[in-house]
Amino acid sequence: MRFLLRRLGFFVLTLWAALTINFFIPHLMPGSPLQALRDRTHNKLSPQALQELLASFGFKPNQNIFEQYLDYLRDMLTGHWGVSIGQTLGTPVSTIVGQALPWTLGMVGVATVLAFILGSLVGTVAAWRRGGRLDAILPSVFVVTSALPYFWVALLLILMFSVWTNGLLPSDFNYDSSLQPDWSPEFIGNVLQHAVLPAATIVITAVGGWVLTMRNNMITTLAEDYVRMGRAKGLSDRRIMYNYAARNALLPNLSGFAMSLGFVISGAILVEYVFNYPGLGYLLYNAVQNNDYPLMQVLFMLFTVAVLVAVLVCDFAIAWLDPRSRAKG
Amino acid sequence: MRRTKAIVAVAVVIALSVVMAACGTKKNNTTSNSSAPAKTSYKKGGTVTIVNVQGQTWPCQFNPFNPANNAVSLGFVYEPLVFVNILKNQAETPMLASAYQWGADKKSIDFTIRDGVKWSDGQPMTADDVVFTFNLMKQTPATDLYSLWSGAGLQSVTASGNKVTLTFANPAGPYFFNFANQVGIVPKHIWSTGDAAKKPDTWEDPNPVGTGPFKVDPCSANNIQYTANADYWQPGKPYIQKVEYPAYLDNGPGNLDLASGKGQWGSQFIPNIAQFYLNKSKENHTWSPPVTNVALYPNLDPSHKATSNLAVRQAMALAIDRAQVAKIGEGGQQPAANQTGVVTPTFNKYFDDGALKSSGYDKPDVAKATQLMQSAGYSPSNPLKLTVISVTGYTDWDASLAVVKQNLKPIGIDLTVSDLAQQTYDDKLYKGDFDLAYYGSAGGPTPYTELRQILYSKNSAKIGEDASTNYERYLNPDVDKLFDDFATADDAGQVAIIKKIQAAMLKDIPVIPTTESVDWFQYNTSDIGGWPTEQDPYAQPAAFNVPDTGQVLTRLYSNAAQK
Repeated sequence: MRFLLRRLGFFVLTLWAALTINFFIPHLMPGSPLQALRDRTHNKLSPQALQELLASFGFKPNQNIFEQYLDYLRDMLTGHWGVSIGQTLGTPVSTIVGQALPWTLGMVGVATVLAFILGSLVGTVAAWRRGGRLDAILPSVFVVTSALPYFWVALLLILMFSVWTNGLLPSDFNYDSSLQPDWSPEFIGNVLQHAVLPAATIVITAVGGWVLTMRNNMITTLAEDYVRMGRAKGLSDRRIMYNYAARNALLPNLSGFAMSLGFVISGAILVEYVFNYPGLGYLLYNAVQNNDYPLMQVLFMLFTVAVLVAVLVCDFAIAWLDPRSRAKG
Repeated sequence: MRRTKAIVAVAVVIALSVVMAACGTKKNNTTSNSSAPAKTSYKKGGTVTIVNVQGQTWPCQFNPFNPANNAVSLGFVYEPLVFVNILKNQAETPMLASAYQWGADKKSIDFTIRDGVKWSDGQPMTADDVVFTFNLMKQTPATDLYSLWSGAGLQSVTASGNKVTLTFANPAGPYFFNFANQVGIVPKHIWSTGDAAKKPDTWEDPNPVGTGPFKVDPCSANNIQYTANADYWQPGKPYIQKVEYPAYLDNGPGNLDLASGKGQWGSQFIPNIAQFYLNKSKENHTWSPPVTNVALYPNLDPSHKATSNLAVRQAMALAIDRAQVAKIGEGGQQPAANQTGVVTPTFNKYFDDGALKSSGYDKPDVAKATQLMQSAGYSPSNPLKLTVISVTGYTDWDASLAVVKQNLKPIGIDLTVSDLAQQTYDDKLYKGDFDLAYYGSAGGPTPYTELRQILYSKNSAKIGEDASTNYERYLNPDVDKLFDDFATADDAGQVAIIKKIQAAMLKDIPVIPTTESVDWFQYNTSDIGGWPTEQDPYAQPAAFNVPDTGQVLTRLYSNAAQK
């Protein structure tokens, strides 16, 4: 119990520190929302008129920065996130984020989980049969693919499965713009079709890391006494591999996985850009480009909370899976 | 709309175009403009898809007073009083005003409001709505985007019968483009109630009611679909019945859809356009008319010794091979500019070719430039070191500046290109913290707009303070006077004034234009006809020009629907 409380306290402290940094760093960036708006309107409109417009959307550059900070803390906690003052001028931040979040969670999230499961499985099997044919080929292939840049893999996939094959798989958007979102099989099929290439990009580039670490952990674990003991007892190979070795080999990977789940929400910016996939990643890019403080603050807060929550859950999970971590709690 | 912003996007397109070119079939691309006489009316039907990169999903807001969103409502749903065509010597097309009459000294103007125009909800459009629109901008200054009340001296807007009179404190000729062409008229019965009345500047206007050729039906984050307004006041129009406007986040995907024909109306930069787009189909065309200048802005403040020295600026203007910058830097997709600052051929009417030729700036003259640099105390062995600021990710600018750097080297200028993040660049540009800046200004219906932005002293500021447009800090009372006189001059007088301003450009070299930036425009003719072309430039063709989109939308027709 003390362990859990300490973790929770740590969580709150980290959250506050992160929120504070999230507020001050964007305000230290060069430029201002006004400048960004002047750029986007090509300096055709007078700066005074634009200043006035931004003011009516709630941009208060002259207010005391600490008052702004207190307002910000209150707004973040109460969910009054305000309206965008960047490229989506005037749109409530909650609407923008609400539209983008499900797509990122769905596509990037599923791809990340798939990469983890696939990577761990391949790593387990490769280590079990180390020196075998599988072990000779798969890990080295995945080392190469994990070293490839996201956007390059994305381009290659577009080229192979969309351009050369005359649009076999769609290369942009999250669904055909002629469809209206609903729960019909047709629409869901369309969404899945559009997710194939971007998700494949993420799986291909992310899976290698999991394969390598899992294989190494497995090899260490397989040398443990309790594995030899299992063999001596005459347990089946399958049982030893999954229940004795893999279960313990997986533990160190879990916190890494939790972190990567937390980072899911920040989206794979490049993947979303190349595939014109309207998730959170490109939102962040736009927000930063346009000094869109309200949108930036909310996005940073979401990323922070996502990572912290994922780590917290992982801590609890490890405490449950591995009694040793609680011992000195 | 965006130029090549993210390096990644450029890499995407280049990588794809290289590979695609290698395996694509080369087709001869000739213009297939049918020489058949233009029909006056067409059958209805067909869909056009616009590819104009926004870098955002649609917020589904259509408030014409919100500059972040109004490009999807003006022209489509909301219409101006008079359409002014920049590309055809300000040729006017009456829209919601069937006629107008200037008063004495151009200090007042009477618009006759068109009869029989209906809002898309069935109510009639009247002079009251026009008066309401202009008074709205007075009551809520944030909606007065063109500073008509605060800057242009608009004093009152009144209606009598079907006439609307605008009165100004000063002659208002130069503002005609803004108040007649850029302001979309909104319906009083919608905007005088509820949220619209309380906060007209921030209201979302999700279901816009206008007089225009199209209605929003429906809008989602991914796509705006417009359907034809069946009761549009121009009988038989629009011919096209549906417009799809997908939200492209970046140039790469947009350009792919243009090349494959999935989108027909393109409005952004396509690198290596011949291979990537034009060779893909003989129905793919491009025509990008020049509208403004991209120029080197030397800092004229005396604190910047080198760039405020006239001889140095003259030498630079003589040494830069503008044709080469256009060909190599912009891949031939932008034409070369000239030292008068008048964009040709768009504004040929004002262009003083003779003055340019006799000044010697019409072609590069390295010998004379070297001499001038020597008189200023510099030579290739003792070069002047200058830094030019540009924007990170504007790859075409980088390529252009590489050419400029080479051009300047032999005359004794060692140019360093400093690529800055957009906002850092803005900050330095506005505050005058640079030796040289590479910048593309905004334009207007005549060269007056652009030249006034660049040269008028009231648009400048002290070094360290934000200048609105005169970033090089050019201060010349004689030139200011010319701009002040422009408003009251007649047509011939205005041409004469612009010619005198060109003389100042040639004498003082306040900025050094290199290339002319264009309205990016690509179009596919396999089904859709009626596009604006070089032969018939009836409106600015790029989909980000408001309200020009309205003109294009009422002229497009589908070939399939004619059968």
